[in-house]
Amino acid sequence: MNKDPFFEDLREKGWRRKLTPDEEERLAEWLAEHPDEQSEWVAESNLNELLEALPNVPVPSNFTARVVQAAQHEEALAQRKKPSLFDFTISRWTRWLPKAALAAVLLGSGLSSYLYMQAARRAEWAKSLTTVSQLPSVANPEVLNDFDAIAALSSTPPADVELLKVMQ
Amino acid sequence: MSTELDSDAALMLRVKQGDWSAFTELVDKYKQPVMNLVYRMLHDAAEAEDLSQVVFLQVYKSAERYQVSSKFSTWLFTIARNLCLNEIRRRSRHPADSIDAAHPDHDDQPLQQYEDKKTFSPPESLLHGELEEKIEQALAELPENQRTAILLCRGDELSYEDIAKVLGCSLSATKSLIHRGRETLKEKLKPYLRSGCWPKAT
Repeated sequence: MNKDPFFEDLREKGWRRKLTPDEEERLAEWLAEHPDEQSEWVAESNLNELLEALPNVPVPSNFTARVVQAAQHEEALAQRKKPSLFDFTISRWTRWLPKAALAAVLLGSGLSSYLYMQAARRAEWAKSLTTVSQLPSVANPEVLNDFDAIAALSSTPPADVELLKVMQ
Repeated sequence: MSTELDSDAALMLRVKQGDWSAFTELVDKYKQPVMNLVYRMLHDAAEAEDLSQVVFLQVYKSAERYQVSSKFSTWLFTIARNLCLNEIRRRSRHPADSIDAAHPDHDDQPLQQYEDKKTFSPPESLLHGELEEKIEQALAELPENQRTAILLCRGDELSYEDIAKVLGCSLSATKSLIHRGRETLKEKLKPYLRSGCWPKAT
């Protein structure tokens, strides 16, 4: 691309539309100072003209009517596919069924686990109670009143060795 | 240009509300530029007509998604380009049947018959035969993005910023595409461009 911003700016304008008389005049002045760019501008200008002169593709006279007809047909099909109130109600509820079923299963299994644990704990307790109930009964506590005195009797003091020597 | 934007946006708002006359008006306004673009992307007049209709059908079906803040013509040509690209990709996966194959019931007739595509002789055409064919051929041989950029540049519907949106690239990249495409065209059409020999408008 030519780096001159003035030339580039007019070139880009020329791609889309004819230059205004003012722009043409300024371009002519610029080209007079830059004669090397003259052939480049001629090629650009001629190409613009050729592209501008490309003919329009023939459009059938009933094109718009056919498009509108097709769009109206699509609209009618879309209306027919809309669900009835009955379908809408059923579908609204059936959407929630799988989630409700899953919630019920989870709740049920949780409750069962809890009840099982409770029963197991009660069985443990019952077993413990049975074991304790089979222990021999504890003696009357009154027999322990003189326990200290009796305990003292059974323990003899150590021999007085010094006294025994003296007595020999 | 902003007045045009407002009028197209106003029409689309009416289309969103089911106004068929507004839709008809938009189709009438843009059917020619859409056909011009689609034909020169597909190089098949019959397919161009079918696909151009699909473009407007898509516009109608997507009316709910149209944002008033965006320019209608930019949105329209983006739809047109995308549909053309889909068709080109579809063709590359399913090449056309041979046009030389004979009809199974009538040996003297080809399997597929095509109408004469050279129906481009509108009164406003300034070009004739060979030169027009050369330009169309040169355009057809350009990479798709360069060709699309140059074709969208022709009319005054879209600014360079709008063309960049249709192509999905930056403004500088868009101008670069146009420049490169034009350089290729200039090279291929050099004899004509040098001499400037074609019927000029009076």
